Amino acid sequence: MKNPFEVIPGKIFEIIQESPLIKTFRIRPEKPISFKTGQFVELSVPGIGEGPFTPSSSHFISDTMDITIMKTGFVTDHIHKIEVGDRVGIRGPYGHGYPIDKFKNKDIVIMGGGVGLAPTRSLFLTLLDEIDNYKSITFLAGAKTPNDFIYKDAICKWREVDKINFLRTVDSIPEDQKWNENTGVVTTLLEKVKIDPKDNPSVVCGPPIMMKFGTFALKDYGFTDENIYLSMEKKMYCGFGECRHCVIGKYYACKDGPVFTYEMIKNEEAIWE
Amino acid sequence: MIIRKEDLFLFFNRCISEKIDNYEEVLLPKKNNKQDEKQFSFTKYNSDENIEYDLESFRTIDPIKTLFYLSRENVSSTSLHSKKRIVAGIKACDLKALNILDKALINDDFVDPAYKKLRDNTLVISSDCNRITDSCHCNLVGGKPYSESNYDINLSKVNNNDYYYIVAGSKKGEKFLNTMKEHVAVNKAPQDVFSLVEENRKDILEKLEKQNKEYYHTENFYELKNSEEKLWIENSDACVGCGACTNICPTCYCFILNDETEAEKFVKVRSYDSCQYHGYARVAGDGSPRPKMHQRFRNRYLCKFSYFNSNFDTIGCVGCGRCIDACPAEIDFREVVKKSN
Repeated sequence: MKNPFEVIPGKIFEIIQESPLIKTFRIRPEKPISFKTGQFVELSVPGIGEGPFTPSSSHFISDTMDITIMKTGFVTDHIHKIEVGDRVGIRGPYGHGYPIDKFKNKDIVIMGGGVGLAPTRSLFLTLLDEIDNYKSITFLAGAKTPNDFIYKDAICKWREVDKINFLRTVDSIPEDQKWNENTGVVTTLLEKVKIDPKDNPSVVCGPPIMMKFGTFALKDYGFTDENIYLSMEKKMYCGFGECRHCVIGKYYACKDGPVFTYEMIKNEEAIWE
Repeated sequence: MIIRKEDLFLFFNRCISEKIDNYEEVLLPKKNNKQDEKQFSFTKYNSDENIEYDLESFRTIDPIKTLFYLSRENVSSTSLHSKKRIVAGIKACDLKALNILDKALINDDFVDPAYKKLRDNTLVISSDCNRITDSCHCNLVGGKPYSESNYDINLSKVNNNDYYYIVAGSKKGEKFLNTMKEHVAVNKAPQDVFSLVEENRKDILEKLEKQNKEYYHTENFYELKNSEEKLWIENSDACVGCGACTNICPTCYCFILNDETEAEKFVKVRSYDSCQYHGYARVAGDGSPRPKMHQRFRNRYLCKFSYFNSNFDTIGCVGCGRCIDACPAEIDFREVVKKSN
């Protein structure tokens, strides 16, 4: 009988400072961990605690895993103290990821904000690995300020790929920072693209407020509720539907999600909180 | 079959001393205080004559989960061990709760290894209620003050406590009963015994129905029809959010998982949590789906009657009434449900 609480130990082999508060940790687990893009894992710091994170690397890679983490609470404060060579533990993967089979031959819209770019980066890289299967990918990315943007170097490369339209926006530009792309909340980028929303999928991931207004904007644009995919990040302690902390009405965010269609959860309580 | 009370206890004694069938431990409801007729809790049995055990009254103070799903437990695989044991005197409400926990903790998605181990190593002996307490309301939630299935052995008191009508309800129970016969007198029940048991059961059920009469005003006691915010602010007015109700509820099993270090190992410890606490569903960055007390208060009722139904095809209240007894604000679960449907 498999113990669901057991972790696979791993070592950090690289740390990338993405923005003042966000780092990407590159982990080599003792044994490969296969996952589907959009699924999440529980990352443990020995003796401190663990938290749910969606890997930001492609799901075609299983011997290493990238996890991009914002410093924003007790566990993440400790994760940010980790150094190259330190031991961490991984449980999972858990839940259901993005149904990329349904994305084949489609024009895909991905909307990501802040550290919400992390799971969408995994989706994006996974799609990129088999780009011939898809018609186009439109990535709408938002951050508070230019310095808060993560994956800066990678984005430059992604922009060179055919079929990819990568648009960025920032909420504001502080005096000491430079920016020559769009300014405004991430939903303003929708005005700049021309996609037929009929039968095409859209994906939203970001802070709760962005998820809410992103979803409404995609609906207004014409995407159907079944075609808006949300990555719901609730308090997922156990990851497999036991501890009940992440319950959204009759659903468990961990087991039935974390990726839900808006259609599934729109009538449940407090989904945006 | 019937067994004399004396013989049953004699057998328990021998189980412990001779490790019959490898049973090492017997847990029974003990009268906590001779003056107080209302307080029982599960205790390891020993033959000290000064201790009074009571298999016949109503449910214990401590919910059954405390014997199978410990309040704080190391769940990392290396630490899992448990003795083979007998738990006797489990009331129908608790047995029902145990079956709900079985669905929640041993299912297709995962098996909680610590719970399963304790469950597998335990022989479950239920017993009919012969008394009720003020908060008992199993009859309102589709229950009865006696068990008809899901036990290994069931005991029904007959003839003023002198002996029990004893039945096996599982293979494990049958095997146990056969072992019992090798050690003590277990006799064929006289013909009229079951009618005595039935009479007794009917009598207790009537008492319950009388006690909870005022809550029988709708077809379904547990249908929460009114979800108006105003009502739930009123309902929760006296609530201090202490979490006593969820901690003592035999079907509440929400937990937090903590990490401990043990040399180089990753050790996970799970402990009870309560949806009544503000931090329960709060995520990094301080977002919370239920920041207000009345929202968390309402969540418990929705969880019991709606979410459990969707998840496990059963409601989550077994009518034991412990939450009513434990509440420092004297909130009566039955009253709240009545107001809300």
